[in-house]
Amino acid sequence: MTTLEVADLVKDFRIRGGLRRSRLRAVDNVSFTLTPGRTVALVGESGSGKSTIARIIARLERPTSGQVILRGSGGAAVPNRDYRHHVQMVFQDPFASLNPFHTIAHHLARPLRLHGRTRTRAETWSAVVELLERVSLPAGDVAHRRPHELSGGQRQRVAIARALAPGATVLVADEPVSMLDVSIRLGVLNLLASLQRDQDLAVLYITHDLATARHFADDILVLYRGRVVERGPADQVILDPHHPYTKLLAAASPDPAARGRSFDIDPAEVVEAGSAPPYEHR
Amino acid sequence: MTNLSPELLEPRPSAGWRNLAPRWSPKLAVGSALILTITLFGLVGPLLVGDPDRIDNIGLTAPSGGHLLGTTQTGQDVLAQIAYATRGSLYIGVLVGVMATFLSALFGIVGAYIGGVVDEAFSLFSNVMLVIPGLPLVIVISAFVPPEQRGSWTIALVLAITGWAASARVLRAQTLSLRGRDYVLAARVAGERTWRVIGVEILPNLLPLLASQFVFAVIAAILSEAGLSFLGLGASSSSTLGTMLYYAQNGFALQRGAWWWFVPPGLIIALFGCGLALVNFSIDEIINPKLRDLRRRVGAVTRRATDPAPSPGDDAVLTLTGLSVTYQGERPVRAVREVSLTLRRGEILGLAGESGCGKTTLAYAVNRLYRPPAEVTAGSVTFRDRVDGDLDILALTPEELRAFRWSKLSMVFQGAMNALNPVLTIRRQLEDVLTTHRPAMSRKARRARCAELLALVGVDPRRLRSYPHELSGGMRQRVMIAMALLLEPQVVIMDEPTTALDVVVQRGILREIMRLRGELGFAVLFITHDLPLLLEVADRIAIMLDGQIVEYGSAEQVRDQPRHAYTRRLLDSFPSLTGERGAFVRSGGAP
Repeated sequence: MTTLEVADLVKDFRIRGGLRRSRLRAVDNVSFTLTPGRTVALVGESGSGKSTIARIIARLERPTSGQVILRGSGGAAVPNRDYRHHVQMVFQDPFASLNPFHTIAHHLARPLRLHGRTRTRAETWSAVVELLERVSLPAGDVAHRRPHELSGGQRQRVAIARALAPGATVLVADEPVSMLDVSIRLGVLNLLASLQRDQDLAVLYITHDLATARHFADDILVLYRGRVVERGPADQVILDPHHPYTKLLAAASPDPAARGRSFDIDPAEVVEAGSAPPYEHR
Repeated sequence: MTNLSPELLEPRPSAGWRNLAPRWSPKLAVGSALILTITLFGLVGPLLVGDPDRIDNIGLTAPSGGHLLGTTQTGQDVLAQIAYATRGSLYIGVLVGVMATFLSALFGIVGAYIGGVVDEAFSLFSNVMLVIPGLPLVIVISAFVPPEQRGSWTIALVLAITGWAASARVLRAQTLSLRGRDYVLAARVAGERTWRVIGVEILPNLLPLLASQFVFAVIAAILSEAGLSFLGLGASSSSTLGTMLYYAQNGFALQRGAWWWFVPPGLIIALFGCGLALVNFSIDEIINPKLRDLRRRVGAVTRRATDPAPSPGDDAVLTLTGLSVTYQGERPVRAVREVSLTLRRGEILGLAGESGCGKTTLAYAVNRLYRPPAEVTAGSVTFRDRVDGDLDILALTPEELRAFRWSKLSMVFQGAMNALNPVLTIRRQLEDVLTTHRPAMSRKARRARCAELLALVGVDPRRLRSYPHELSGGMRQRVMIAMALLLEPQVVIMDEPTTALDVVVQRGILREIMRLRGELGFAVLFITHDLPLLLEVADRIAIMLDGQIVEYGSAEQVRDQPRHAYTRRLLDSFPSLTGERGAFVRSGGAP
């Protein structure tokens, strides 16, 4: 049982503009905990800092301050060199996240060998086959193909399998379906959900889509300009939002159930009427 | 677990290398033939000819049976000399190619990947090397090394040191772009070491570029070496094509009309360079597939105006009848198949479909913006003008088409956020439309009209002076809509006008579109993959799958009584924000 604690995370980016230098606070004091078997959704618009948080958790970026602590079943922090065994990431764009030069089998075999999960060639191959089957891909057909020969949905399944290969217990999914065609999004999300159930994964689901966040996640954090402005159980946050920004998001999201909803009302005005802090008109 | 034996899955000989092989083309064939012939001549030739240095007292003689290419001033056989000289030149060329490519890879790739101070230092160093004028430096260095020590290796080293910087910069730029790719990040997340990320993830994707840089370095080296030798600064002991030319010059070959002495070495240099350049073209085509020659079909069908266009209903403004668009190629792709749609005056017709279904191709066909290899193979597009009556768009002459576009039918492009020209102000870009289509309009009237339109779409007219990068994505999109409405068109085609915008901004834009339609009364063909959005804004909806319209009806009808299974699947794919979960499975425990 590994738990990932994110505590008081802050990330500043230096902006170089000519001679002047300024700082942009992309992530501002964000704290949350990922526990096995639960999904936390991080919801926000572009520039809200959600991808930065993902990159910090995946150790692609160092936080300016704050900590990301991974605790094993005993509650002791997992040593740094084992961090990547546990924490893996699924990237947004399946067209970019697989190396066009390598076969699918290569993409899965590497992490298996790298993390010492398999030793012999035969072991690796059977593990690759098993991984592909776990993400519902026909192993015999797919393993020797190259990324460009697969559809977007298939590629994203491969990316999920790759993240599982080191034996990950914490999965960061950064907009895993936003680049996919709508008719296959659901399948990929349901796959993630069933994998999570079967293996008791702790999942961080990053998205700008409130509807999938509500149905896919247990808890939702709403991020606005690097700050968590609202958090709570998924249904509560979406159906009964308290913070004006969450209300604004919910009011602006397309909703097939809401045909006939008037376009006369400006979502921004709805929010301002509710004693909201002033949001910059964009 | 699995019934597949591991043997079945043993890696096959990598097909990835085959992907890297250049496509066979006449350019490549001629280039390789030239290179192969000359290389073979350089390798085998010296074994077949006599001693190139043997002096004979026959002096300068023209080609004959005994000496196929004649002799030099001192009676040496030119053919034998050329064979040895070709070998010498190739040797130096390859040597320099390898060394220069290695140097440029080292400084370009490693620096760019590691980044930070190392990158700055490496990049500064390459830039310094780049601005040092190559040939003069080579001359200075060569002159500095005493002739007796000036072997092929010294010359090759000098040429490599002066020749790597330009390709290092190219490789650096490419590596910088690869470094941020998700698959490189994914390898880092997987815990791969730096050298492995560079060697296994980045390098293979740079191979075509490296190959072309290598070829380029070889050409440059052979030419520079020839130049140096010609100046008498080349390798002292070896014989190359350059030294041959040097001796020919010293022996007054030109003045004496001994063409057989200087033409053959010159020709070999030229042909070899030409061959390498041709091969380089083919390598470039791997890096950039767009450069590949599109095979055009001869005698493409152009529709004639005589085809009877069926008369549309009274309130129709745009009628598509049996429209088919095909991408001609080795395997023709029928992107749009017999699509019939009617856009009524003032309505919003939604066209929904997933990537590759042909919706953008359809939009381009209506506008006649499609380019070869796309081709309209059947059908008609009829525009019913308020004033002029029916227009057969596919039969318009280029001049009529130019006048028709934008003034009667305009378009908001996909990714419109990037469709503005970054170096011109908003005013310039808006006024451009007016100066083209309303040449009679005064400057003052133009300005007023632009300001009016900008205000109409909810952007402060003071923004006319701004450049596109000074505006937010939402504002740029509003400017694009203003531009589309500038000439009061009767139809606006909007291709994914709000995709890539945040939902709040998206909502604002949609609101603007609905309001403007109410005020100005244009009809909209709204193309998107976002069905829930269409269900909210569109009057009627057409659903496209594999180039065909599979569902066509009012928005209510499509939502409540979808007829086609695909429509139902699409509808089920969007979980409701406030309603039931639908096909979604909740992952964890109790909320």
